[in-house]
Amino acid sequence: MTAKSILEKIVQKGILPEEQALLIADYERTKSFSIHRELRAILYLGITLLTTGLGILIYKNIDTIGHQAIITLIAASIVACSYYVFKYRQPFSRGIINSTDQFSEYVLILACTLFLTLEGYLQYQYQFFGSRYGIAIFIPTVIFFFCAYRFDNRAVLSMAITGLASWLGLTISPLSVLEKNDFSAPGIIVTGIVLGILLIVIGWLSDTRSIKGHFGFTYFLFGGNLAAVSGLAGLFKNEPKIIYFLVTAALCLFLIRTARKNQSLIFLLMGVIYGYIALTYGAFVFLPDSVLAALSIFYFLFTSLGVLFFLLNIKKILGLKK
Amino acid sequence: MKKPYNETWVNNLHIQNLSQIWLKKKLITQKQFEQITSDFPEYFYKPGFFVKTGLFLFTLLAGSFFSGFISLFFLENSTDKIFTVISLVCAVSFFFALEYAIKDRKLFHSGIDNALLYMAAMATLTPLFLTFEHLKIWQYCLIILIVNSVLLVRYADILIAFVSVAALYVMIASIIISIPQLKPFLPFCLMLISAVVYFFNRSDYGVYYAYCKIIVKIAALVIFYFGGNYYVVREGNALLSDLLIPIAPQIPFSVLFYILTTAIPISYIYLGLKNKDRILLITGLLTTAFSVFTYRYYFDIIPLEIMLVIAGFILIILSVFAIKHLKSPKFGISDEKDDSQNLVNLEAMIIAHQFGQSPAQDHLDFGGGDFGGGGAGNSY
Repeated sequence: MTAKSILEKIVQKGILPEEQALLIADYERTKSFSIHRELRAILYLGITLLTTGLGILIYKNIDTIGHQAIITLIAASIVACSYYVFKYRQPFSRGIINSTDQFSEYVLILACTLFLTLEGYLQYQYQFFGSRYGIAIFIPTVIFFFCAYRFDNRAVLSMAITGLASWLGLTISPLSVLEKNDFSAPGIIVTGIVLGILLIVIGWLSDTRSIKGHFGFTYFLFGGNLAAVSGLAGLFKNEPKIIYFLVTAALCLFLIRTARKNQSLIFLLMGVIYGYIALTYGAFVFLPDSVLAALSIFYFLFTSLGVLFFLLNIKKILGLKK
Repeated sequence: MKKPYNETWVNNLHIQNLSQIWLKKKLITQKQFEQITSDFPEYFYKPGFFVKTGLFLFTLLAGSFFSGFISLFFLENSTDKIFTVISLVCAVSFFFALEYAIKDRKLFHSGIDNALLYMAAMATLTPLFLTFEHLKIWQYCLIILIVNSVLLVRYADILIAFVSVAALYVMIASIIISIPQLKPFLPFCLMLISAVVYFFNRSDYGVYYAYCKIIVKIAALVIFYFGGNYYVVREGNALLSDLLIPIAPQIPFSVLFYILTTAIPISYIYLGLKNKDRILLITGLLTTAFSVFTYRYYFDIIPLEIMLVIAGFILIILSVFAIKHLKSPKFGISDEKDDSQNLVNLEAMIIAHQFGQSPAQDHLDFGGGDFGGGGAGNSY
């Protein structure tokens, strides 16, 4: 079925007049091929390669004359990027800013990553912040938060949130929250839960008070993921289990509710999967052995069928519009 | 063969999607769009990506515990025969559930039916593999190909399509390797087969198979490129000859393969832009990255970090130039933005993963988090 045959069908049914169909056929024949996304991907890949390369370059050339030049170059690039971003800045707004300049966003990301490289190097070579590593991470975090809000950049916001988490000793990026965190370290589970809930609260506030409401998604995703994974880790490893169980369950319920409010089903998926793990683990820990023996054969079969039923009828149960 | 998914609805879905674009471009009015939707109806259950993922995962969970449950009845003696029986019982149940889900619940590639189909396919293949032991590789591939082709024609699933094509390639490759006269020409044979597959894939099989066609096309393009790629041919040659030396020996016609390594990606990109073919274009871009890797692997002249800086710089300049140049469309190519919020969030996630800061240990080592360069992927 081509656009042409579809148009013929629609015209036959008398929905479109002949002339309009001709116009649409004309549009279909001459429409342009947009490579917007591909170009942005290449631009972004370029930024990644450049900053990675510079990062290695500095450390490899540390005791040579050349590295002074590289440092100067990076510092100059940061200044130039900042100048560019400031030159094309839009007035601050509490909603989404539609930048007129299409490069500002990427220039800001470039500036921020270069800043990280430079700062890391200064600390490594000159002990700029002495042994107070906390400050060394905290400064970029503050700057990034400022930039994210001022220039309305979600990517920089994500960098700021990961910075904040790493200041507290956590790895938070969604794909590595499980593999890179050492949940056996004391206190890290509680830190994770508290930070996660804090991020969720910030997200909720920005959503309800409409201060950069579109940042809510980022906060929810980072916070929800971190809090739920930390809660599960606590449930598996620490006592008293009942408290961790209740915290995780409450979080999952909140995530599912958020999905309903934001019409964003990723939170639903997170809530269901984390909730299922928590409930299953809870059932096997809390229930007496005699009940378990009867349950164990059927448990997974029937609970997963139950989840399927829930997901299939999600629209009715949660009252979603989409 | 009769198709389980209602073909009229599939076509209508396509019509609706197309008119949605026309509506966005203001080529038709809202009222006309509504009339098109009511005149070309479809009643499929199509959840969003995340619900689909959830449905898929929990169907897999339910399915695996279902087979565990079935095998409880046969616990006493676990021979191959018993295992065959269990697999057959599971396969029948999965197919039954699949048909029910599609006919009665009106699912349309919604996670549940995908998972059931994959489990059913595996449960069908297991007894076949158990019955015919000690076959050659190509014979196993033939079995996979036959079973999957039947499923592909009926259910038009993309993973099934991919497995079928993969089985076809492995089958032909292993036949060629077993014939000594043909073995040196393996790369050319694979390229030839890819061309044939690509050619047959071009005919119109209807909207029902639209996504499968895309998968087959990508597979054909990628294998065609690999058949001509110097790295793949040289290392593959060493691997097939069981040469256990650290550096693979030089291959005959090396110049030809060097030329192909450069020429194929460029022609993909050129043809993609010329024919407005996004798949060709993206495959071209990705194969370009692999070609860069190939050259870098054999011509290690400049150190990696300088290479990265230069490559990054060139890519930035190139894309900025292209974006500036395409402000008004040229040669039917434009830089028009299509608004989709989800991708903005996805982009932020990727950046956070790549540049995200990890906790400080005894010294700070910033500068790029995980190395995520698709271009010159060299582990260090």
